[in-house]
This record gives sequence, C-alpha cells and structure tokens, in this order.
Amino acid sequence: MRKIKPLFIPAVLSALFFAPVSGQQGTNLTVFAAASLTDSFTEIGKAFDAKMGGKTNFQFAGSQVLRTQLENGAKADVYASANNAQFDPLVKAGLISSGTIFTKNRLVVIVPKKGAGNVKTLSDLAKPGVKLVIADKTVPVGQYTRQILETLGKSNKFGADYTARVLKNVVSEETNVRQVALKVQLGEADAGVVYTTDVTPSLASTVIQIAIPARYNVVAKYPIGILKNSSNMDAAKAFTDFVLSRDGQAILGKWGFLPVAGSKLP
Amino acid sequence: MSFRKPKPSTANPLPVLPIVASLVLIAFLLLPTLVVLERGVGAGFAGAWLNPVVLEALRVSLVTTAITLGLTVILGTPVAYLLARYRFLGHTLLDTLLDLPIVLPPVVAGVGLLLTFGRQGLLGAPLEMAGISLAFSPAAVVMAQLFASAPFFIRAAKAGFMAVDRDIEDAARIDGASNLQVFGFITWKLSFAFLLEGLVLTWARALGEFGATILFAGSLIGSTRTITLSIYAALESDLNPALVLSAVMVFVAFGLLFMVRVLTKNRSF
Repeated sequence: MRKIKPLFIPAVLSALFFAPVSGQQGTNLTVFAAASLTDSFTEIGKAFDAKMGGKTNFQFAGSQVLRTQLENGAKADVYASANNAQFDPLVKAGLISSGTIFTKNRLVVIVPKKGAGNVKTLSDLAKPGVKLVIADKTVPVGQYTRQILETLGKSNKFGADYTARVLKNVVSEETNVRQVALKVQLGEADAGVVYTTDVTPSLASTVIQIAIPARYNVVAKYPIGILKNSSNMDAAKAFTDFVLSRDGQAILGKWGFLPVAGSKLP
Repeated sequence: MSFRKPKPSTANPLPVLPIVASLVLIAFLLLPTLVVLERGVGAGFAGAWLNPVVLEALRVSLVTTAITLGLTVILGTPVAYLLARYRFLGHTLLDTLLDLPIVLPPVVAGVGLLLTFGRQGLLGAPLEMAGISLAFSPAAVVMAQLFASAPFFIRAAKAGFMAVDRDIEDAARIDGASNLQVFGFITWKLSFAFLLEGLVLTWARALGEFGATILFAGSLIGSTRTITLSIYAALESDLNPALVLSAVMVFVAFGLLFMVRVLTKNRSF
C-alpha cells in the first residue's frame, strides 16, 4: 500500500475520464435546442437513435442562452432555435452555414386550475392585482408575448391602455418558457403566456388554457442548422433531415407543433 | 512520541510533483476569476454604472441583503445564545439540523420555501387570509436569503458565545447585573469579532443567493432581480452588464474574504 507511485493515480483517473462510455456503434451527436422543444426533440432523438444506432445528446435551454454559449465556443453539431433573432447572428458570425424553418408554434395564455381563478378571459389579464408571469424580452417567447399584447392593445377591443395595464401586472420575467409554465402550474402566478406546445399532457391536468385568437396570435418559426465546426457533419445532416422528414414532423405534430413544408431561410 | 520539525536538508530534493500539481489547481482556481475581472473592467466599467440594469440590481441586492442581515441578527442571536449557554433535550439534534441549509442545494431550499409559503403551499391559505402575498415580492427574496445564510451567523455567534469566559459573566451577575445587562455589556462585546465574522459570511452567502431566489421569488428588474439573477439574465442578451456585475462580485468577494481574515486574526482571546 505504501509504495503506490504518485503517477499511478493521475493515470487511473485520466483513464476513467477518457474511456469511452460504452461500446456503442454510430456517432455521438450534440443538439442544442430551444427549451420549448424539450419533449418533442427528446422523442425525435429516441426515434433517430433507434434508426441510426448512434447516441444523440440534447441541451435544452432558452434559445438566447444557447446562442451565447455557441458564440463563446460551445461545441455542438446542430442548433434549433425558437426564432430567427437568436439564430441569424450565428449565421452572420459564420458559425452556421444556413438555416431551415422546420416547425411553427403559437402562443396561449395559461391559468392555474387550482386557486383563485380571477383570470378567465384575455381582458382579465389587465385587471389590477393579477399576477402575470411572462418570459423576459430577450427570450423568443417573451418577444412574441409583447408582440401579441401590442396587437391586442391596438385592436381597441380591450380598452386603449390594455397593453400598458397588462404589462403593469407582470410580476416576473423568466429566462425560460418552462419556468413560466412552472410558476403557473404551482399556482404562484395567476396567469402566464407560453407556447401551445408547452401545455404538455402533464401540464394540461393542472392548468386551463385561454386561447389567443389567430388574428392576434403570432406564428413562431423555428429554424434549424448545422454548426460549421461540427465533427459529425454527416450525422448532423441526417438528424436535420430526420426532423424535416414525415416521421420527424409527425412527432412534432404530436406535441402540438404546426407542420411546415421545409423552406430555406433567406 | 515526539514531533520534530523536519530539518531542512540539501539532500531533500525539490518537491517537483506537489509544486506542479499545485500550480495546475491554483491556475484553475484563479484564472477564471481574473478573466472575469479583466473582461468586466474592460467592458466599460465606468459607463456601465449608469446602466439601469446594473443600478437596479445593486439596489435590490443591497436592500434585500440589509434586511436579511437585520433579521439574522435579531432572530439568530437568541438561537446561538441558547445553544451556547444551555443544554436541553435535543440540543445536539437541533444544533445539527440548523446547519442543514448550509449543506442543502439552494434549489432544494427554493422548492421547500415554495411548498411551504407559496400560494398552494402549507401556509399559503392562512397567509392569504391574513392578506400577505409573498409570491414574487422582495420579501420572498429576503426569505430565500435568510434561509440560506442565517445558519452561518448562528454558527459563528455560537462559537463566539462559547469562547467567552463564564467567570466574567458570573462576576458581573454577583455584582447585580441582570441577564440582559450581562449579555449587552459582556457577552456581546467579548464575542464581537465572532459575530462580525458571522455577519460577513452571512452577507456573502445572501449576496450570492441564486437557486432559491429564482425559484421562489421570480425575476423582475427593480423588485426581485438581484445581482446574481441580473447576471444570469444579462448573460443572455447584453453581455456587458453581466461582466460588470460579475467584476463587482469579484471585488466584493475579495473584500469580504479580506475582512474575515482580519477578523479571525484579531481574535486574540
């Protein structure tokens, strides 16, 4: 015991660190995806791995977080954003060659099933004392939320200062759409604005949805692209193709996303 | 057995391996801090002070941590005093349990606070009836900070009270001093360095609180968005305020560390 060479320990440690996790066939793929894609992309990943025999790893976060991480050198093969604003700068910076819109989404107001329930309609959002949680303006869904509130305000259906009154009720600006959903689910907030796709089966049992009519709603377009410094170009291409394929679109549809006919971004 | 300092001998070779290993870890620990400092100061340190994002974050953090410190002293001192001066059933258990928030991950603290004081929580209904709404208020920020940081003060204060010579207290009592007078004129004063050290540690922990705050208090500029939450939010859009606030935190952390060093050195009794 006494005569273990000091070098032995680092050698063992590094062997542990750098050993392959398992003897899997296929390639490891890293996909950075917007938080709103958590459920659908997890399922797409499983289907893709079953087909290709590789291992797809996901990092889900607010698109603006992922963009910052990629700008600062995070290694990923594929990036799927919830809007162009968090995607185009990466194209301009030369990190991504081009993007394709792969799905669309809409927004919805959710209120907790349990509790006071003083929000029943869109106009109730402007009632004094309502605790409204939305996403921060840097998050795509937060930007869309403000856009919808502006449109609702201009419609003259809810009173002139509707937008201002609603924004006055905002008690928290979350950095991730799932945090907005969580705070409504827990009953801490009276209402929140999320993507329709965030109302997953598990969330649907605890919240009530208040639909935003199509003429006031926005259509969030999700671009996907391959990182130029990806070390698995082929696998990355196969993954984006799979997302755009009928199988991929069917899974996205199952989670409430709207289908697209794949279109190249300008 | 006798312990003798090893004699410095020329035959003893330079401890190369420990030195190399130390350099690696030292560089790892200090480099990120220095980079933050360099980038923060470089990111228009002076100009960013006028940025409302920075100012509001500093204001929220200063106000909430000040209240947290006040509450910690008022409520924590009696707890530390009782633990230091009296033996009672469950003393050891209580002493251990009060350290729990130090070890608990902050996010767990946030979940616990939500499930207890949230609107659907254990005390949610009574609080609502009393007209108290904690959700998304600065009060929630203070509660998250208090939960995470008060144990640091209790620990230090307890150690301080235990270090005070009981004979001095007893002598004062014989001279007719009341318990409160003994505490105010003797115990408090003699353990002051410990108390101050506890306060500094408490403040450091409260200032850095993140996990429990973001879960329990939400994040709104000028209300609940503290320095740490502001850094997190700013990182995602405009990097400059985040860098400046990070640099501020490095300065503050260094200042606090320095203070603790000075305080513990001056504990001569």
